[in-house]
Amino acid sequence: MAGSNPRSTAQIAGHPFHPMLVPFPIVCFVGTLVTDIAYWCTANMTWAVMSVWLLTAGLIIALFAVIAGFIDFLGDRRIRNLRAVWIHAIGNAIALILSIINVFVHSRDGYTSVVPTGIILSAVVVLILLVTGWQGWAMVYRHRVGVREQTP
Amino acid sequence: MTPRIFLCAMAALALTACGPDPINPKRQIGAHPFLPEIHEYLLPPMHVVTNVGWGGAMPKAAPGLQVKALATGLKNPRSLYVLPNGDILVAETDGPKEPVSRPKQFIFNWIEQQAHSSVKAGQRILLLRDTNGDGVADMQTVFLDHLHSPFGMVLVGNDFYVADTDSVLRFPYTQGQTQITAPGALLTELPGGPIDHHWTKSLTASPDGTKLYAGVGSNSNITENGIEAERGRAAVWEIDRATGAHRLYATGLRNPNGLTFEPESHALWVVVNERDELGPDLVPDYLTSVKDGAFYGWPYSYYGQHVDPRVMPQRPDLVAKAIPPDYALSSHVAPLGLVFYTGDNLPASYRGGAFVSEHGSWDRDTLNGYRVVFVPFQGGKPSGMPQDVLTGFVDGDHAHGRPVGVAVDSHGGLLVADDVGGTVWRVTAAGR
Repeated sequence: MAGSNPRSTAQIAGHPFHPMLVPFPIVCFVGTLVTDIAYWCTANMTWAVMSVWLLTAGLIIALFAVIAGFIDFLGDRRIRNLRAVWIHAIGNAIALILSIINVFVHSRDGYTSVVPTGIILSAVVVLILLVTGWQGWAMVYRHRVGVREQTP
Repeated sequence: MTPRIFLCAMAALALTACGPDPINPKRQIGAHPFLPEIHEYLLPPMHVVTNVGWGGAMPKAAPGLQVKALATGLKNPRSLYVLPNGDILVAETDGPKEPVSRPKQFIFNWIEQQAHSSVKAGQRILLLRDTNGDGVADMQTVFLDHLHSPFGMVLVGNDFYVADTDSVLRFPYTQGQTQITAPGALLTELPGGPIDHHWTKSLTASPDGTKLYAGVGSNSNITENGIEAERGRAAVWEIDRATGAHRLYATGLRNPNGLTFEPESHALWVVVNERDELGPDLVPDYLTSVKDGAFYGWPYSYYGQHVDPRVMPQRPDLVAKAIPPDYALSSHVAPLGLVFYTGDNLPASYRGGAFVSEHGSWDRDTLNGYRVVFVPFQGGKPSGMPQDVLTGFVDGDHAHGRPVGVAVDSHGGLLVADDVGGTVWRVTAAGR
């Protein structure tokens, strides 16, 4: 029985995986910017070390979030027809590519592992996530992607 | 080429190949090496050779010289010391495992595994004796066991000193002894773990025997483990032999090894491994005399006032004091052994000059080092270009061995410890 809400394909008992996973990379990448700023202000290497671990952890969970999101994207044409989905997907792809570059920059030794290239990349990624996150929320709260049909 | 393969190739190129072209290493030899612009990579070039052992192969000695294995089948022989009666001591040693501080460390530990011998080191000192003088050791004993990454060795009178990675120990020794069972007495603690990035502590004694000098390498490439981790490091320590009290004799030497007094000027000389990840031709490793109280730049600058932007906060006051080293050996050759030749077996042109072992590079595309070179000296100063003495350690992408410690034996032969090859090589004049 096809309802009117776009359906999530990667889900368990009606709970889509993608929204469960995305908070991890988002928090990690925002955290990276915070610890980068802390390093920039203090020159204490501990903050830079935290940044590179946050980036790495964020990228690993992001990989699973991408897989779940992509399955949903392929699984229902109504999802693909949403404009918000395309902004969300392309924006996040750019954020991920920048974060991969950023993890290499952060793997340098000393000050230039963060300042200036690393911290700029971290900030750009957070700005992109604000836009793509907004689109993600629109998909769920406005377009009801993965939301259960109301029983009459 | 399909678009996908093309994209992958482009991505790989973008990560690795956007670097400067390597320069001829000959431009980075001597007192005034050419220093290119700093280039920080996204993914630094890594060229790790595969260890294949020697099989039937041999290293190649320079014309007029011949090479023979003094001892084979050793477990990571890294440093050598010749006792007055001609007995040869070999430290079978390896560094402590460095803790993983950043994700990058997983890759570095893997490189370390590839580049170094897979044989677990003995953590002991062996004694080799050639009783019939044929250039092959026919007696081998365990001289000292249960050490902690030993490297430096020196005998003063009846006191035998070992520099473990975290302390200098003193043992009683009488001439002809083949095994020491007496417990060692602690003379001085040295900076050791838990990080212990550069762990080899080279050791020598002043000509009058009152002081010991120990090389203490930095705890990082360029302070990425925090400046607090560098206390007492990247320095040559002067240790009072009677009391164990120490002071920093010279600082700013990233990883000083091969501490030796030059026979003519009686000045202390070392070879130093300089910093990585600034490009294939930065920063040249070097050979230098060590002046009392001098600062040689690390971490703030290199070759005098060339500031390293990776160190924060910077210290212009220290950079202003930094002095350039005497003699560059070109980049990433990893010199670990140094000995001045005072014997009379080798041709006269070698007398008074220095033999330097170059363990070999891993962080540049074109390999550099993997050989023993001779640097001629005149009036206590280097007086010409280095000459190859022992080569053939690498063959394309395969390493047969890697030279580390060097020493001159009681018959004037040059000894070379080869950690990967598990061998001590002996170089003599051809036909002698």
